[in-house]
Amino acid sequence: MARTVVVAPMLVALGAAIATLLTRRFDRAKVGLSLAGGIAYVVAVAALFAEVGTEGILTYQLSGWGAPFGITLVADALSAFMLALAAIVSLPALVFAVRYVGEQGQQVSFHPVFHFMMVGVTGAFLTGDVFNLFVWFEVMLMSSYVLVVFYGGGPHTRAGIRYVFLNLAGSAFMLVAIGGLYATVGTLNMADIARRLGDPVTYGVDPAPVLGLAAILLAVFALKAGLVPFQFWVPGAYRAAPAPVSAVLAGVVKKVGVYAIVRLYFTVFGVGTVPGGLGLPGLDGASFLNFFGPVLFVMAVASIGVGGVVAVARDDVDELLAYSSISQVGFIVLPLAVGATVPAVRDLAIAATLVYSLNHAVAKGLLFLTSGAIYEAVGSIDLRDLGGIVEESPTLAGGFFVGGLALVGIPPLSGFFGKMLVFDATARAGADLALGAALVGAVLTIAYFSRAWNRGFWGEPSEAVAEARPSGVQLSVVITLGLVVVAIGVGFDPVFEAASRPSNSRR
Amino acid sequence: MTQYVLAVVLGLLFAFGTFLVLRRDVVRVVWGVIIMGQAANVYLVTMGGISPEAVAPIVHGSGEATTDPLVQALVLTAIVIGFGTTAFALVLTYRVYEEHGTLDLDDVSTSELRGSLVADGGTAARGRDGATDEALDESGPDGSTDGGVTDG
Repeated sequence: MARTVVVAPMLVALGAAIATLLTRRFDRAKVGLSLAGGIAYVVAVAALFAEVGTEGILTYQLSGWGAPFGITLVADALSAFMLALAAIVSLPALVFAVRYVGEQGQQVSFHPVFHFMMVGVTGAFLTGDVFNLFVWFEVMLMSSYVLVVFYGGGPHTRAGIRYVFLNLAGSAFMLVAIGGLYATVGTLNMADIARRLGDPVTYGVDPAPVLGLAAILLAVFALKAGLVPFQFWVPGAYRAAPAPVSAVLAGVVKKVGVYAIVRLYFTVFGVGTVPGGLGLPGLDGASFLNFFGPVLFVMAVASIGVGGVVAVARDDVDELLAYSSISQVGFIVLPLAVGATVPAVRDLAIAATLVYSLNHAVAKGLLFLTSGAIYEAVGSIDLRDLGGIVEESPTLAGGFFVGGLALVGIPPLSGFFGKMLVFDATARAGADLALGAALVGAVLTIAYFSRAWNRGFWGEPSEAVAEARPSGVQLSVVITLGLVVVAIGVGFDPVFEAASRPSNSRR
Repeated sequence: MTQYVLAVVLGLLFAFGTFLVLRRDVVRVVWGVIIMGQAANVYLVTMGGISPEAVAPIVHGSGEATTDPLVQALVLTAIVIGFGTTAFALVLTYRVYEEHGTLDLDDVSTSELRGSLVADGGTAARGRDGATDEALDESGPDGSTDGGVTDG
């Protein structure tokens, strides 16, 4: 069954990238096309979201080649949710970038590269095949490399080296894992892998090596998601990239790693069992998830701790936000760890992960854009130079306030339900350790945001802040995204329904 | 026999690639990443299974048994991607040399430390601030276009 609506978001993003590439000499046309592409992307995603909502799982076979040999695109509730997240963050970031990225930067390559990044993100969310996941990762990463070193200065190239080489090594490992999977399972189609792993005797699959290969893949996905111990590239890359790009990197690109973990480990490798137990010290049970649960748990707790503690002491707002996002990804993965270990709360845990991902995407997007607007208006985002922004620009201060409170988890903002679901899932599973880690993380979140708030936004306006002239377009983007954060919290019911659909349709 | 030779070669390639990645010279790191990527490609081809009778699926209709064509198709894709990323990594290396005047990774990281100290003293080094200023300047009247981004 071929459904064009499945490929629509990808085609729109690809079309926007090519159109902006062709019109690169004509500034107005290019910006117009780019914005039109961004809007069309939102429309295409909305259409796909509605279609998936009524029809369930949609598939598209590229060029009519049948599965498992052809390239399959699959849109289910999980993909649709992640695509909606990408659309919600990418359009405001794009509008913001038109006013933020310098004219020369826009002339050179910003718009095509931005849209190519969205092509990669969309492809990664839609693909039904592990090798194509690799290809879309590369499309996305290649564009993000360019955007991280966009300004090309000293710190940017330095952050770029770290980001590029870590990810190139990650890609090599991903290829190794994929090759191994093909050799042991005999297919790369995700649904096919799940089928064969579910009945290893009939298909002659030896599950033990698959577990090892899945573990290699997990390292690669953790690198993309910026989980400890693979977080080294995060602060440099987010500081180096232009603010709207940081918003998309933290909001969307990171979530691709999270998505891959949910998709592969809970719907594909989750069915696998090692007969006779895992045979690893301290791990009971025979399911693959009995292995990945504790591993994810350690990564999540370490991320929450490391990110939170370091963020408390940062003076650079972007750096603070980067460490904060390491910590927040820990919160996103923590319910997954609990859900992997305790099957009873698995559905709730996946819903919690998705809701928290959405919350982090919009809130962190808002914060990075606010930080960009502050930088443009004030000329610095170092807390030592800031102060009293509340007096000079209540809107900017409001953007930071709403984003910060959303990450802290204050009702009625989006973060309240995210945090509540995370706590709910861990408490129901009886995972006291996870609950404790989440509590410590929540306290750290309050600590670093209130410190930034006190130093940067309250008090007497500093010299730099007093002369601030924020741009109107940037302010309206900040306001819009702030309203989205509030709207998700107030009208939470449909969001929760959309987030629980993936786990309901898993059965 | 072929399997053992390939296994040993792959092991050596990965070991050599890892060794180079851990060097301080950026160019060696690039080489290391390239070698690791190529080793992964060779590994991917071998995962299709090797048998002495089967040939690579290149000549159409030769009537001979062929090896698994899927991995060959995958490797073609991976090679193209590897080519692109290698080109980018080399350009980035050149840019690093332009910006920092060195290709030693230790010096690159300390040069930023020194830069930030100098920036505190008042003479702005090209930090994040400096470079974003440049982005701001581009829209300004003096339009400094000292090539923050390579044209292409």
